[in-house]
Amino acid sequence: MTTKRPNSTRLHQYLSSRFLTLVLVVALAFSLLILVPKFNAYAVPGNQRGYEPAQPIAFSHRLHAGELQVQCLYCHSGAEKSRHAGIPAANVCMNCHRFVSAPLGAIRAEDELAKKEKREPQRVVSPEIQKLYDALALDDKMQPDPSKQLRPIAWTKVHNLPDFVYFDHRPHVNAGVRCQKCHGPVETMERVRQVEDLSMGWCVNCHRGVNRTGLDGNGNFTSAPAPAAEGPTPVTHRVYASIDCSTCHY
Amino acid sequence: MAEAAIALRPPLIDGDKTITEVTHDVCAPMEARPTALWWSALFVSSSLLLVGAIAIVYQISVGVGTWGLNRTVGWAFDITNFVFWIGIGHAGTLISAILFLFRQRWRTSVNRAAEAMTIFAVMCAGIFPVIHTGRPWFAYWMFPYPNTRGSLWVNFRSPLVWDFFAISTYLTVSAMFWFIGLLPDLATIRDRATAKWRRKLAGVLSLGWTGSYRAWQRYEVVYLMLAGLGTPLVISVHTIVSWDFATAVLPGWHATIFPPYFVASAIFSGMAMVLTLMIIARKLMHLEDYITIRHIERMSKLVITTSGIVGLAYATEFFTALYSGSSYEQFVFLNRALGPLFWGYWTMVGCNVFVPQLLWFRKVRTCVPAVFVISILVNVGMWFERFIIIVTSLSRDFIPANWFHYAPTRIEVATLVGTFGLFFTLFLLFCRFVPVIAVAEVKGVLKYGKPRMESAHE
Amino acid sequence: MSGEKKQYWKTLAEKEGGPEFLRAPAEELSVASPRQFRRRDFMKATGFTLGVAFATGCSRAPVQRALPLLSEPEEFVPGRSLFYSTTCAGCSAGCGVFAKVRDGRPIKLEGNPEHPLSRGGLCATGQASLLGLYDSQRLQHPLKEGKKVSWLEVDRAIQAELARVRNERGTVRVLSGTIPSPTFRAAIQEFLRGFADARHVVYDPLSKSALLDAHAQTHAMRVLPHFHFDKAEVIVSFDADFLGTWISPVEYTAAYRAGRDLGSRHVSYHVQFEPRMSVAGSKADQRFAVAPGEMGLLVTQLTRRVARKAGAWFDESEPESASVTPAFLDELADRLWQARGRTLIVCGTNDSQQQVLTNYLNHLLGNYGTSIDLERPSLQAEGSDHELERLFGELRDGSVQALLIAGANPVFDLPGGEELGDALKKVPLLVSSAERIDETSALAKYVLPEPHYLETWSDTEAISGMVSLRQPTVHPLGETRTLVETIAAWSGKPRSSYDLLRESWKAKIFPRQKKEADFETFWERALEDGFAEVEPGSARPQPFNVRAVIPVLHAQSLAANSFALVLYPTVAMLDGHNAYNPWLHELPDPVTKVTWDNCACVSPATAGRLGLADGDVVRLVTSDSKTLELPTYLQPGQNERVIAVALGYGSRLSARFAKIGPQWIDALLSVGDNGLVGVNAAPLLTLSLGALQYTASEVTVTRTGKQRELASTQTHDTLTVPKRLTPRGSGPRPLIQETSLAAYRKDPHSGVEDHEEKEDLWPTDHPYSGPRWGMVIDLNACTGCSSCVVACQVENNIPVVGRDEIRRNREMHWLRIDRYYSERESGQIEVAYEPLMCQQCENAPCETVCPVLATVHSEDGLNQQVYNRCIGTRYCANNCPYKGRRFNWFNYAHDDQFENLVLNPDVAVRSRGVMEKCTFCVQRIQEAKIEAKCRGERVADGAVGTACQQSCPARAIYFGDLNDPTSQVSKMMADPRRYRLLEELNVRPSVGYLTVVRNRPAEGDERSKEERHG
Repeated sequence: MTTKRPNSTRLHQYLSSRFLTLVLVVALAFSLLILVPKFNAYAVPGNQRGYEPAQPIAFSHRLHAGELQVQCLYCHSGAEKSRHAGIPAANVCMNCHRFVSAPLGAIRAEDELAKKEKREPQRVVSPEIQKLYDALALDDKMQPDPSKQLRPIAWTKVHNLPDFVYFDHRPHVNAGVRCQKCHGPVETMERVRQVEDLSMGWCVNCHRGVNRTGLDGNGNFTSAPAPAAEGPTPVTHRVYASIDCSTCHY
Repeated sequence: MAEAAIALRPPLIDGDKTITEVTHDVCAPMEARPTALWWSALFVSSSLLLVGAIAIVYQISVGVGTWGLNRTVGWAFDITNFVFWIGIGHAGTLISAILFLFRQRWRTSVNRAAEAMTIFAVMCAGIFPVIHTGRPWFAYWMFPYPNTRGSLWVNFRSPLVWDFFAISTYLTVSAMFWFIGLLPDLATIRDRATAKWRRKLAGVLSLGWTGSYRAWQRYEVVYLMLAGLGTPLVISVHTIVSWDFATAVLPGWHATIFPPYFVASAIFSGMAMVLTLMIIARKLMHLEDYITIRHIERMSKLVITTSGIVGLAYATEFFTALYSGSSYEQFVFLNRALGPLFWGYWTMVGCNVFVPQLLWFRKVRTCVPAVFVISILVNVGMWFERFIIIVTSLSRDFIPANWFHYAPTRIEVATLVGTFGLFFTLFLLFCRFVPVIAVAEVKGVLKYGKPRMESAHE
Repeated sequence: MSGEKKQYWKTLAEKEGGPEFLRAPAEELSVASPRQFRRRDFMKATGFTLGVAFATGCSRAPVQRALPLLSEPEEFVPGRSLFYSTTCAGCSAGCGVFAKVRDGRPIKLEGNPEHPLSRGGLCATGQASLLGLYDSQRLQHPLKEGKKVSWLEVDRAIQAELARVRNERGTVRVLSGTIPSPTFRAAIQEFLRGFADARHVVYDPLSKSALLDAHAQTHAMRVLPHFHFDKAEVIVSFDADFLGTWISPVEYTAAYRAGRDLGSRHVSYHVQFEPRMSVAGSKADQRFAVAPGEMGLLVTQLTRRVARKAGAWFDESEPESASVTPAFLDELADRLWQARGRTLIVCGTNDSQQQVLTNYLNHLLGNYGTSIDLERPSLQAEGSDHELERLFGELRDGSVQALLIAGANPVFDLPGGEELGDALKKVPLLVSSAERIDETSALAKYVLPEPHYLETWSDTEAISGMVSLRQPTVHPLGETRTLVETIAAWSGKPRSSYDLLRESWKAKIFPRQKKEADFETFWERALEDGFAEVEPGSARPQPFNVRAVIPVLHAQSLAANSFALVLYPTVAMLDGHNAYNPWLHELPDPVTKVTWDNCACVSPATAGRLGLADGDVVRLVTSDSKTLELPTYLQPGQNERVIAVALGYGSRLSARFAKIGPQWIDALLSVGDNGLVGVNAAPLLTLSLGALQYTASEVTVTRTGKQRELASTQTHDTLTVPKRLTPRGSGPRPLIQETSLAAYRKDPHSGVEDHEEKEDLWPTDHPYSGPRWGMVIDLNACTGCSSCVVACQVENNIPVVGRDEIRRNREMHWLRIDRYYSERESGQIEVAYEPLMCQQCENAPCETVCPVLATVHSEDGLNQQVYNRCIGTRYCANNCPYKGRRFNWFNYAHDDQFENLVLNPDVAVRSRGVMEKCTFCVQRIQEAKIEAKCRGERVADGAVGTACQQSCPARAIYFGDLNDPTSQVSKMMADPRRYRLLEELNVRPSVGYLTVVRNRPAEGDERSKEERHG
């Protein structure tokens, strides 16, 4: 009977409040150590990072910008002469897709099949590109079909800013900021995804950085000559990114 | 011998109370069923509170436009009420902190109520900085916190930000002060309580107060320290509030005299409010023996002192205007005295400077109804002081083309009424659930100014 | 131990320990009992769920779609504005404008700087006319007896009826206002040709008929001469508000300002005789408030004096003397005679006898051919009141079979509207072509919707030989059709207005010029410039016919305690066809500063005698017992025997404004008891002796005892420090600083209050390495016309708040024009205008007090306002010495989606509870900076223009980079006339003002300065 006390008290000591507090403090310190560096990574309400909506046409930037090396500004030509980069009008797509109606593989396959079946290979149109033709109300001969009606393509915007923010592509593109800097490696994306959180802090810190260390962060303060094909090519000048409120808010 | 003692120091508590009697007297109203009077009072005040609540909800849902403000007068009732209530709050800390440090032992019977009043007043005041903004749901932006705006902080040059800190500090410290002071009495309630829930509640709140020697020792130390903390706040809070105006360019606002002027008038109004409440409380709760005529007299003396300071400030304002040689400055004060709001100005001077002069006469000081009326008049006057300072300067500043008058709307009046509702509701609840008088402290001064031998006799 | 259970053990210790030992672990467990674990788990679980909830709860913004065009036009780039040169149709003056088109919709009108008439300016009405395009109550389709029908149907029906009329050889009339479009005029003639008895009746609600008739008598050609105010060194105006509402205010303002350039040798001297305070009168160097009955006598007296000097014939019978001192008239006559050939006399009354006398004056002074052009006459007003009278007769006896009313609203803007209405009902075929259902088109059997002028092709020949083109800037928003097209359709050859216009230009305009050999190039040129200068029409004036001159020998005398009524147009409403336009109703009148109402203006003295105060509703009764009930307004500088009432109000087009502005428990309606904005005064006009009379004598005034508070943005008694509150020894506040021409010639700096530059406590705060924006406003040039106010409103999406809010002093205009009266020793009232917006202070008081940094200083000197950061403490507004800030007291409604198309996409629409203010049109600055940046250049001077500056017809506003010493604004900043408002506060505003310089001898000037604000 007497031996019981010491045992339980010893146990009790182990689990005494002081011991528990110690454990808790250590745990807390540990978790803080883990969490704090990640702090900015946590999404606050309104953070759209990772937004990757489905589009009416499964347009692949990987294919066009990546494999086929189409320049961003070929389609998004507004970026250098307007505040909006713009989504290309369907007639821009048709510059190529008047001739390209399906992936090469599909066409080859059809030819093979035709050869096997001893018949004329018929025209192959990939379902996605067909949507484009439908939008333009074109028939198989690529001629406007009066019976159909024109249907504009309702793309889903990926990079949205609040109404009180006035972002302008011109100064950025013309100063030689690479598109990927804000839009991420679009040329590797099947479907475009928002890579940066586009928060004010993100914008402002980049602007601060540019003024401190130059565009590419190596103290180079002269902007690249504009990728503008037509129009006056800008004379090289000092890069300067304002952090005035009225740069974006008015 | 005994006579000598009495002649030497008048007792602080009348009626030869034994310690038990004291406890009983103070706790009785809490333990008895609430009187019809109390219920009706609560009904009135809480319905006022409701009116105010409705007004505020309407204003927030429709817009600040529902107030009588315009592009010339951007502040009026809102900030007036804010400054007014903050001012009221000052007496509490003064009594509990400064008078404590000065060993003014008579404070013991009023400090509890005064501190409670402080907290309630600051709560009332706290409403306005929030609801006066155009977008109250963003009012928290006035508080610096880490954000994703890279990072965008508050404007530390803005007196409104200083206000934010001043008031929150003030509220915290006074609340703590009040609570610490309550501990022994909460223990008393716990020990006397018959109802189970009451015992439990009081027990938790009294933080396991044993009344042991050690407990008392610690208690004294903490109380002293808090008093030390509280004292500078009495000065700082209203100084900072006055900077809202003093740092502005408007003639009539832009004055270096404002901090002392505002602090003095704050204490002035606070004292008046304490008087009002105390006179009501002692009547309704039969505490005449504890809040004696001598207490009222002493507070009246404080009132007249501060009234003097305030009067001096008024005069000084005119002098500085004259001396400054700035026609804008001079105009503002002419305009206050003779302009469209002259009646407000003279109400303020009348109530704050002339009326309190009556307190020079002992007869008036010792006549409770008189003091009561005066104290109320002083509160009216102090409200008008803030109103006049804010509105006259705004409505007629530099460019006459901008001049415009101001008239409050129903919504504004209802909001003001509502704050009074809130104030009195809280105070009534306080009277019901917390000892209005610091029992423990009063016991300490029970024998004060009484002949020693009585105790030797036993 | 027998009953004991048998034990087993592994070690001795176990054996010693016995069962307790075995029990121990159980206790160990019980210490940390499962209950505790469960609680911990619970906590963990809760924490986790909460965490997840938070992480996932980071709501995604609503999905936004983007629909690109299917095939994009060449010049079209989303987000870029295009400017199309076209011609304003706000009135018949025909100013040249650029329409700013953004993503396919016009959002702003800017004056065309190349245009020879308007020279880049545009008036308030012109600026506001844009809103008409997005008016959701515009007619969208043809109506037959009030029911919607198709164009085909209407055409068929009308063609049938017209055929019948043609066969019956019935009378056909076309009633319209002045039509400045040669193509349109021709089309109407073409249309009328087919009928036996057909006539095109032209009238102007604000009639200039007498002026034209006078020239018919004196020069045997009924034309409106083209006045050149820039060529005049002495300008005498008899009640002609040529800077406000008379014929072509923008053109005249530009010319007037050119003639008053202080740099030039001669600064024009302007004398105004008028019964009420007009905009032109407010700028005059000498101004006399004379009763309308005296006007003719005055003209005569001046004519006699000039005739004597010219040694020319004039009736010698001595007329009675008028209120103006003979001495002054002598002096004036001298000045005129010395400057003969370089003077200009204009008369605004619609009385041909006075007009003839005026012509004689001009003739004697040799102004024809110099400051008055008859070879290239103006076509901006060609109405004939005689014709109108005839038509009324015909209508009364019901002899008109078919009446086509083209864009006119006679039932509203002519006297006897009711009778006329009844007469119109008698017309078998009444067709009205209108943009909206107004008093007249409501009576018409067929209503043909006119398109807005920004939707169609048209042209304008404002001055003979100066043709400007009008091109569509947006696809018609409704099933509308111009009358030109309609007429073509009726004639059986339907063509688009484009083809019709080109045809008529090829046929009529192109041959009248030599520069271009090929029509296409000529057309392209005209289209790009917006106008073309060609040979004027062949009009050769006959030598002056003196026999027409008949002097006026007597002033019309008024019976005691009766008054002369003067009906006048306001800058905003003109003849009332703009009554649909909320911007114009909200625009404070330049002189009275009253909004959302018209009122009975009386002189303060008269008001004193009648015991009237602002807002007392009075009843006016004319001699032919027509009555009008209006609130009183005390108007300094008005003749004591005159009651002045504004025309153009009380139109049914304004019925829509009953509930405009925020609606809350204390809100008042913006309309009066009649459910309309203001009261229509047109019924008090009289059409007699072949002229519309805008004055009536023998009008009695009685107070009704009713009250109607006028929503005025300024009231004269709050413009000055009341005498009894003025500190001793302190003069008037130096808000307007002025001098006389003589003093200015001696010392250009005269009249400017000097302040020693105080030391800056924060010299390094703002380095201004780049540009630093600043503005200078020439108070001498400013006429108070208020076009800048509307321009600012359009550019910056400033909401309309309605009468009640303005009454509560909550107007939202970022730019206001303070109007100051001052009294000269002669008792003449003088006016000074001071446009006031945010002064963009360097040491801005607002910046230090904002708790959330919503207003901060930019690196190029702007005082930025960040709407989305503002929480609305209003501390900044309180601390602003200029009160240049505006607060969104409510969510000012933007619920008319159609009207919202006018919003400028470059400017955020402010929500409730947010402070806003002028930012020097920062969106334009940003645009210019970005453009320059892309080219790697500095922003060139003149590359940025603020909306107010661009619109100002008087070019009174200079804006640009103060860091660039060569910029125009820096030069003006350095001008000795420059002063800053409230400089003594050392807030260092970026806006400078130039002193007012009155053209008069120095003496007495000082005294008048003392008495300012008196």
